[in-house]
Amino acid sequence: MRTIIPAAVLTVSALLAADVTVIRNGTIHTVTKGTFKGSIVILDGKIADVGEKVMTPAGARIVDAAGKHIIPGIIDAHTHIALDSINESSVSVSSMVDVTEMLNPESISIYQALAGGVTVCNSMHGSANSIGGRNVVFKLRWGADARGLVFDKAMPSIKMALGENPKRQGSPQGLQIPGLASPQNLRYPGTRMGVEDVIRGAFTRARAYQREWKDYETRKARGEKLLPPRRDLELEPLVEVLEGKRLIHAHCYRADEILMLIRVFDDFNIRGVTFEHALEGYKVAREIAARGHAASTFSDWWSYKVEAYDAIPYNAAIMHRNGVLVSLNSDDAGGAELMRRLNTEAAKVIKYGGLSEDEALAMITINPAKQLRIDRWVGSIETGKDADLVIYDKHPLSIYSKVEKVFIDGRQYFDRDEDMSRRPKIESEKEGLRKKVLEQQKQAAPQNRRPS
Amino acid sequence: MKTARFTCLAALAVTVFAAENNSFLLRNATVHPVSGAAIENASVLVVDGRIAGVGPKIAPKGKIKVIEGRGLHVYPGMIDSGSPIGLAEIASVRETVDAGEIGDFNPQLRALIAVNPSSEHIPVVRANGITSVLVTPGSTGGGRGAAAGSLIAGQASLVHLDGWTWEEMEIRRAAAMQLAWPVIRMPRGRGAGIEALLPGLAARRATFAEARRSQQQQVQKIQDFFDAARRYQTAKAAGESIQPDLRYEAMIPVLEGKLPLMITAVREREIREALAFAARERLKIVLAGVRRPGKTLEEIAKRNIPVVLGTTFVTPLEEDDPYDEPFTLPAHLHKAGVKFAFASFGVQFARNLPYQAAQAVPFGLPYDEALKSVTLNPAQIWGIDAEYGSIEKGKFADLIVTDGDPLEIRTQVKMMFIKGVPVDLESRHTRLYKRYSARP
Amino acid sequence: MRKNLLAAFAAALLISAFLISAALAETVNWTAIRGARIVPVNGPVIEKGTVLIRNGIIAAVGAQVDVPASAWIVDGNGLTVYPGFIDALSSWGLPQTAQAQPPSAARGAQQQPQQPQQARSWGPLDRPGTFSWVKAADLLQPADPRLGQARNAGFTSAVVFPRQGIVAGHGAVINLGGRTAGEMVVAPDSGLFLALRPSGYTGFPSTPMGIMAYFRQLWLDAEHYRQALSMYAADPVNIPRPAYDRAIEGILGARRVLLPAADPVQLERMLTLAADLKTPAVLYGVVRGYEMAARLKQAGTPVILNVRWPARDRNADPEDRESLRELRIRDLAPASPAALSEAGVKWAVSSEGLDSPRAVLRALKQSIDRGLRREDALRALTLTAAEIYGVAARLGSIERGKIANLVLADGDLFDDRTRVRMVFIDGVRRLPEPEAPAPQGAAGRSPSISEEEEQ
Repeated sequence: MRTIIPAAVLTVSALLAADVTVIRNGTIHTVTKGTFKGSIVILDGKIADVGEKVMTPAGARIVDAAGKHIIPGIIDAHTHIALDSINESSVSVSSMVDVTEMLNPESISIYQALAGGVTVCNSMHGSANSIGGRNVVFKLRWGADARGLVFDKAMPSIKMALGENPKRQGSPQGLQIPGLASPQNLRYPGTRMGVEDVIRGAFTRARAYQREWKDYETRKARGEKLLPPRRDLELEPLVEVLEGKRLIHAHCYRADEILMLIRVFDDFNIRGVTFEHALEGYKVAREIAARGHAASTFSDWWSYKVEAYDAIPYNAAIMHRNGVLVSLNSDDAGGAELMRRLNTEAAKVIKYGGLSEDEALAMITINPAKQLRIDRWVGSIETGKDADLVIYDKHPLSIYSKVEKVFIDGRQYFDRDEDMSRRPKIESEKEGLRKKVLEQQKQAAPQNRRPS
Repeated sequence: MKTARFTCLAALAVTVFAAENNSFLLRNATVHPVSGAAIENASVLVVDGRIAGVGPKIAPKGKIKVIEGRGLHVYPGMIDSGSPIGLAEIASVRETVDAGEIGDFNPQLRALIAVNPSSEHIPVVRANGITSVLVTPGSTGGGRGAAAGSLIAGQASLVHLDGWTWEEMEIRRAAAMQLAWPVIRMPRGRGAGIEALLPGLAARRATFAEARRSQQQQVQKIQDFFDAARRYQTAKAAGESIQPDLRYEAMIPVLEGKLPLMITAVREREIREALAFAARERLKIVLAGVRRPGKTLEEIAKRNIPVVLGTTFVTPLEEDDPYDEPFTLPAHLHKAGVKFAFASFGVQFARNLPYQAAQAVPFGLPYDEALKSVTLNPAQIWGIDAEYGSIEKGKFADLIVTDGDPLEIRTQVKMMFIKGVPVDLESRHTRLYKRYSARP
Repeated sequence: MRKNLLAAFAAALLISAFLISAALAETVNWTAIRGARIVPVNGPVIEKGTVLIRNGIIAAVGAQVDVPASAWIVDGNGLTVYPGFIDALSSWGLPQTAQAQPPSAARGAQQQPQQPQQARSWGPLDRPGTFSWVKAADLLQPADPRLGQARNAGFTSAVVFPRQGIVAGHGAVINLGGRTAGEMVVAPDSGLFLALRPSGYTGFPSTPMGIMAYFRQLWLDAEHYRQALSMYAADPVNIPRPAYDRAIEGILGARRVLLPAADPVQLERMLTLAADLKTPAVLYGVVRGYEMAARLKQAGTPVILNVRWPARDRNADPEDRESLRELRIRDLAPASPAALSEAGVKWAVSSEGLDSPRAVLRALKQSIDRGLRREDALRALTLTAAEIYGVAARLGSIERGKIANLVLADGDLFDDRTRVRMVFIDGVRRLPEPEAPAPQGAAGRSPSISEEEEQ
């Protein structure tokens, strides 16, 4: 019995987007096709046309963007927002869990991130495990249910983690679970060597599992009557990785561990991995680029732990110059904080490393889109792509800019003016409800006082 | 490319002026004194570390070194009004953290003497135009095994971000006494979750009355400590022979209203209590970390109590708060007539102090106020405005030379002078950048 | 306290021995409640009629019923007869230790010596927190003082579940009184109770998503086990003999699972999970039923409502601002029953979290004020609960052939002045009992079997 989503839920956004919108006379930062003053035609949620001169269909909704700047919706390749649980930290391989089912569409972080121009994010499992759980890419369609948020065109992925976090439970100082302080409860691994072993071991088991099923299918096809192998939800996602059907986002800091993982992946013929944080990626940028792996990093974080002590704000620039596909992420978990100013985070790669405006904007739009394998649909302002757009009042790389409107699939999900005018209404509704509840309590009171 | 050029310039500045030490004429630049309007094509004359003249027509005196400032902007060095810089290196490693002593009352502790002049953070932070920091002794909250916050953490010290020793870095050994006002700690329930509804699943939480009681006990402790310190002060003034007590000794300037008490108070209740306490004790106070002043804002303004704001880079306190609540707070304070400065209250992101102030500008804070909040305002709040905080004749030449607005992210700081001495803008970060950019 | 319990137990043993010997006499016992207003729930109200009970089973209901001469007559004048109420998710009659305890208490010093030390679980094969072989029906304690309080409020049945771990065990539909524990059981296999909070172990799984993944693996393992057993039976030479796994044995017998879903978000999660487990679900802990009705109807999933309507925590900081979301939930939660009934969702109620069983009726009265029809409220308390657990042939309405579980009240059920005058359980009349002051934990009075009246 598969769960069926009401058809209405699925089509609401499509119906609302069926009309035509034209965003006129703004400075359009397409990211991939230059920056110019022009207009964008949105039809059925897609960018139907973009250019200095466009045809405005009759009856189109006009959004005047004179003096404003438009960029593609920001994509945050690494967050943990809107998840009711993030980290199945009890085991070193937690690939059986999927944060998709923890997606909470009511989390206010979604709206806050939206108000910062983010339209897509990759919300991930935590970093307590050498191999973590499965992640979810979703569009910030505030108001939709969990299924309505999920960007199902994105390739499935899984989290991995190297270094201090996955080995913490393997050290007596790190083990802080009450009642578990005894040595036999230490969780392997406790060293970077052990982290490699766990990963290598897991993929070795996955290979054997893959073979076991293949053997079974072959023999079954020959008409043999035999017991199928036990299905293993831990290994199935890893088999998908081996088959190139599932991406890897690997949390890492130090150059040595990045190189280690590259070599493990070489052995298992795993390509197209995104190294997350990769704060020492600049030291092995060449090796990352040589295998076509990518990196998603911070603009200027450092020194919060030992493995971040060699972090430099020039990391993104060096990796980029070495041919690594680089994105900037927020790693936001509790609330959407850094997410809503990824535009100015991008500006930092201009300050530190001297990259161009387009290179900077690419790191929060088209590059993360490529890393998530969604660049066919999002990440730049191009005809045919989803109309995920952000209108800023000033240049988006300026700290003085602010987001005025955000469109996802052509539908306006954030409007600063609307937000402002809604504020007093929220307050008055709350006041009304407080009064109502008080009155109901008064009415119920005599009944409750009756002796029983 | 740009960076390479900037590095050369900085290097040049160091080599050329090291011998000249602290006198020069910087000319043809746009000077932003902060205390007044910007002056284009102007010069700043620095003699023996002090500003000897500012204006469009200043001729070099004798053999003084001349620095060409064409296309550049001169601002006063920025001041971070609260950071454990020098006391904390790697947040997660307790051994590298010297903020947050154990014990409730440590007014005798002086942040200055534990400032590590070799901290890698110092060059990193000053590279973004920050010349001075109020080093706070209180817990940063981070670091496993760090002591839970004390009530009086010690004396915060104003330092320059340059010096071979902490003595050389010192601006004011005791600039403020740091006090954290006790908070009622209630674990908030999760609304109407299943846990809240099924008996046996919800762990028993402290009742409000219990939490309130334990907070009031903390408040009483503060009161008792102040009372004891006052008795000590009175006895000492009366010439009674008393056992010297370093803690009470350290409290005397606070009790006399000479040393500001910097009280961390985030929400309305704590602010209200702190204000009442300060009024009762006739203390000079600065409020720090204010997020939700509510009705107290009027009183803060009326009593001319300065405020140190933490970073604007936070999420709204509550679900229903406007999404831009942290960004609009500085404008609210400004409109209410409250004087405020910004603090990073951390080390890692201390270099982003200027952006933290700038973030309030698109949300209503006038630009000039944002600039003041990291220059002149903190100098006034910490009582050093006679010598710091703006580019005015007679003040120390704590200057930064930039290619634009220092609050804007893309702006590069090209030169920095502390007391007229050129400061190296290289750091661990630029060194690693160069090293790995050159990896063969 | 222990002495009291022992004494009560000894007394119970003596009396039940006596009663069993009495039952052996094989006499037919007739009881007739005459002249009462009868609300059968499955049919129209009979303004004045008779309920005839034969050996604990309803033999006839109607305005005109022939009553055998030997029948014991109960004068129903001025009374209304309802089917006995059913608490659809309860722990009445179960030892308190078998239920979830607050985490603080579990960690506390009062650890039961016989309780095994919490072992760290390293994965699904450790079968963490899994007690699928446990049956509530095997744990019943007829001396539980809570049974008497429940009867006083008109409850005659409950669906009780063990509560340890994350696969807590099988629930049972029980009658709230009986000579023996066995006699109380109406159905021993009412569903497998699943929880999404780690309990009873440490380690894996430590999160709701980990627990959900574990459930899936467990059910897959069960399927594999079933397959292995049958293949081994057919071909013991070539198929390896599967090892006995009590955790899985318990899963195989589950006809439904109980899963928690407070709000629409959790609802979607649980519907997906139940589909993956290929097992029908009953959802418990439902709070925002007012938003879930359409989806529940479409999925055909019944729910157990928590009728402790959310209210501002008395312990809350008075300066705390409640969110709009909290306020809306508080306002709308009592409207859930009406919304569910309107949508045609099967819903029943649980008394959990309420101060007393009686508070269920008061809570439902609030819902009636918010648009719930009285008959729907009554149905939720009776027939719907029976339907949800597949015992509607035996409980839930006043019909020939059903167990004679009845409530006799002196007025309308939801009228605050109404009092329950007596209940019948298995045809045995029980009069209201004085209530112990502390409802939970305290030994209080044992249900005084001496007050049970023989016919």
